[in-house]
Amino acid sequence: MKLLIVDDSNIIRSRIARIALHPSLRQLSIVGLAKNGIEAVELCQRNMPDVVTMDLTMPEMDGIACIEILIARNPGLNILVVSALSDKVTAIAALKKGARGFLHKPFSDEQLANALLEVSQ
Amino acid sequence: MATLRETELKIFIDAVTHYFLHLTSEPAEIRAAYLAETDLPRFDYTGLITLSGQFRGCIYFSAPRILVRELLIRLQEPDTCEANLLDAVGEVANTISGNARQHFGDRLEISVPITILGNTQQIKSSTRTRPFAILLRWQRYEAAVVIDIEATA
Repeated sequence: MKLLIVDDSNIIRSRIARIALHPSLRQLSIVGLAKNGIEAVELCQRNMPDVVTMDLTMPEMDGIACIEILIARNPGLNILVVSALSDKVTAIAALKKGARGFLHKPFSDEQLANALLEVSQ
Repeated sequence: MATLRETELKIFIDAVTHYFLHLTSEPAEIRAAYLAETDLPRFDYTGLITLSGQFRGCIYFSAPRILVRELLIRLQEPDTCEANLLDAVGEVANTISGNARQHFGDRLEISVPITILGNTQQIKSSTRTRPFAILLRWQRYEAAVVIDIEATA
């Protein structure tokens, strides 16, 4: 399965990429890293990922708008939101747009690995 | 509500301590929480979030280089270049502010982080006459979170 990582923070993109290399996630291969929604839309079109980790607060295009576009183009896409926004309204909004899961920051390596496993099954 | 209540200030204190405990297994010790005067605490690297919606003002996290570098190492980030150090303080500010929405909900609209290098330039309070300052210590190093926000309604 192909994984796209979307976050405006370089260290978070790098951390998610490192966790995704764990042997328990060997079915995932990283096909792209995007720092905002616009880059994510372009990379999705080019690389056709199966799983996307999606930040919400980003410049240019935020995560909610990006989820809407990606799901409209590929309703089967598995999107895991990884965001610091911890309120229920935001989580529900993301799920309503088509995200499959929501993980709050800060997250442990194990929490992210488990969440990636869940959304990619 | 024109100002923050004590219980609401605690939301931010809890978010700070939770951040360090959860990510590094070592809690940040809160050294002081007080109403600051004109000179706000500031260190080498600062991540700042501006607020809109039903609140206005900003929240920032500021830390010395040695603390931020240690944090990156704990996160197993091998590249401790300037850009990543700035990125790290922005991410801390973003996480603290985002976690506060568990209490405030979507009334607290937060921006993407702005990062500032160097502590030569003073940050002035822009919203409250006396913002809340939280001084913390993680490992042996001091850092600060400043909450300069007010409700607009």
